[in-house]
Amino acid sequence: MSNPTITTQSPLFKRPLLAAMSAALLVSISLTGCTSPDSSETDIDDTKVENKTADAASNVANNDAVSVATIDVDTVKGDVTLPMNPSPIVVYDMSLLQDLAALDVAVTGIPSGLKLDNLSSKNQPDPEEVGTVFEPDLEALNAIQPQAILVGSRMAEKYHELSTIAPTLDMTIDTANIYESSKQRLHDLGALFGKSDEALKLQQNIDNKIAQTQKVTQDKGAGLVVMVNGNKLSAYGDKSRYGFIHNVLGVPMADKQITDAAHGQPISFEYIQKMNPDWLFVVDRSAAIGEDSVGAKAVLNNPLVAQTSAWSKDQVVYLSPDSYLAFGGYYQWMKDLDTINTAFTKAQ
Amino acid sequence: MPLFSRRYYDMHTASPKIPRVSKKWQQHDKPSKAAIPPWLINSASLVVMGLLVLLSLSIGVADFSWSGMLQGLISHSANADSSLMLVSRLPRTIAIILTGIAMAVAGMIIQVVLKNRFVEPSMVGATQSAALGLLVVSLLFPASTLMVKMSVATITAVLGMMLFMGLIRRIPPTDFLLIPLIGIVFGGIIEAVTTFIAYQTETLQMLSVWQFGDFSSVLAGRYELLWLTGGLCVIAYMIADKLTIVGLGDNIALNLGISKRQVTWLGVGMVAMMSAMVVVTVGMIPFIGLIVPNIVSRIMGDKLRRSLPAVALLGASAVLLCDIIGRSIRYPFEVPVATVFGVVGTVVFLWLLLRAPSEA
Repeated sequence: MSNPTITTQSPLFKRPLLAAMSAALLVSISLTGCTSPDSSETDIDDTKVENKTADAASNVANNDAVSVATIDVDTVKGDVTLPMNPSPIVVYDMSLLQDLAALDVAVTGIPSGLKLDNLSSKNQPDPEEVGTVFEPDLEALNAIQPQAILVGSRMAEKYHELSTIAPTLDMTIDTANIYESSKQRLHDLGALFGKSDEALKLQQNIDNKIAQTQKVTQDKGAGLVVMVNGNKLSAYGDKSRYGFIHNVLGVPMADKQITDAAHGQPISFEYIQKMNPDWLFVVDRSAAIGEDSVGAKAVLNNPLVAQTSAWSKDQVVYLSPDSYLAFGGYYQWMKDLDTINTAFTKAQ
Repeated sequence: MPLFSRRYYDMHTASPKIPRVSKKWQQHDKPSKAAIPPWLINSASLVVMGLLVLLSLSIGVADFSWSGMLQGLISHSANADSSLMLVSRLPRTIAIILTGIAMAVAGMIIQVVLKNRFVEPSMVGATQSAALGLLVVSLLFPASTLMVKMSVATITAVLGMMLFMGLIRRIPPTDFLLIPLIGIVFGGIIEAVTTFIAYQTETLQMLSVWQFGDFSSVLAGRYELLWLTGGLCVIAYMIADKLTIVGLGDNIALNLGISKRQVTWLGVGMVAMMSAMVVVTVGMIPFIGLIVPNIVSRIMGDKLRRSLPAVALLGASAVLLCDIIGRSIRYPFEVPVATVFGVVGTVVFLWLLLRAPSEA
């Protein structure tokens, strides 16, 4: 990451410049405490120089540099050490994008064609597109010269390819333990971008909403999470990305046998009738990936599902696409908890 | 007619590189077909199919008892068992049977018309073209009804097959390997186009749902279009003799006063329609159209009027069996029938290839 070319040739000539730059950097960072980081407003080349010369600068300017403070980030691939407040950054995961948007951190590169709102913060310039959630656009990445790349489950396969470009953080959220894992990620992101207080506040919001929702979901019967994909169905268990319904909100599983699978367990309508859940949580896969197709409601509206107590009592909760795409993200937590809260309150 | 024609074997025995699988066929080279009378085979497979139907009706996640259903029948009152039977079990079983029949018969027709044992509807671009049509119509007119989507898929399937027929016109019908190879490449190209469009429009998931053969979503009111394939099979049976004659060669057809062109297009059109209907309602199921006709024609020869009923019965039984396996091994969850058939079909296909033809 560090580039040695600058210091070798003529250090005497360069040093005053470096000192001036690092001073400017220090000032800008000290300002970020209250305002949005203005690093996003300086153009890309400037930021690059700042980062490259950070080491050299710390030797010259004798105040030990808030600018070179490094931080260990806990990732799936082990701890990664990198300087605080990296910029520009590229993020390939919707959950992380939601968290960063909530923290108001500038993201320079995001995947194209994302179907969710709440992925970029309001006060930041529009991000550039750098491929899709599955496939990075290496040309675009090279143009940005990111200081950090944040990836989630969908891009985890490309980790090695990406880590040759910039320090890459695999911050995939563990579906089996979505609450703890997403809490950790939010905390880490806060620490990395010097916004620990804000992260704590956001986490508090989530926790409050969970506590609120838990009150209404207690003792209201068992639930089954079903994904409708076209005209086909699959069921999700407590280790899936919808596990939070069972292990955070405490809704018992209508079927305890469900094991984890990336796209759920394929089931038939007879299965739903047999399990007879009191609550049916429905994820419309087609809606999640922005398709106009037969709605999940039309698919489920048949004599077999009609026999379940969930359907007859009108206790069917349609989850937002966020819960599929951005599970564990800040806005997903808020949105789904709201949806579930409203549905359960209405049923009382 | 054996799986491998005599000509194919001769061609390859000349080459020292390819080890011969078996030499037994050379020793007694007499045709050994129709040792068992067809009526016996057909009634035996009807019995097997009947058992599989009973099994298919009995297996399911929801609670169901035959006695409860019989009581409902006797007292002429609808109860939970009889309604479950009518809403879920019977439609699923019928859909499976119709799919099995359609795929197997379509495979047999295309094999006879193209005079080639190695082709099936998905190897000549029919199912891929149907999927392409389905994707395009869903993207352009997402609100269109199933009937419209089906018609478009049928038209594109016919167009795809016409294109394929145009491609293979210059190839001598004796070139046994070139036709399926071109078919695979052709189908692959269409599939690539479809995948590219789906990738660009982020509809890959939707596409995979359609393409993957699976009966789990079949309920009363959601499969009925498949009955049309049954009708097509009846038509196929009616023109079976003409198709057989076309399969014998251009000169024979000419001498017997059959318009080869007309009958060929009729056959091709029917195959395209059947493939499109199955793809739209159930999805693709690999191998049926290849394996079932091959097994039957080993036993009964290529006279379609005699072999088509057997092909239909065996096709239905094969899909029934695979769906029952798919429903049971991970009960109460399901394994899609396309997955099961992919595994079973591979094994059977290898067995067909490796077994010496004359032993059939």
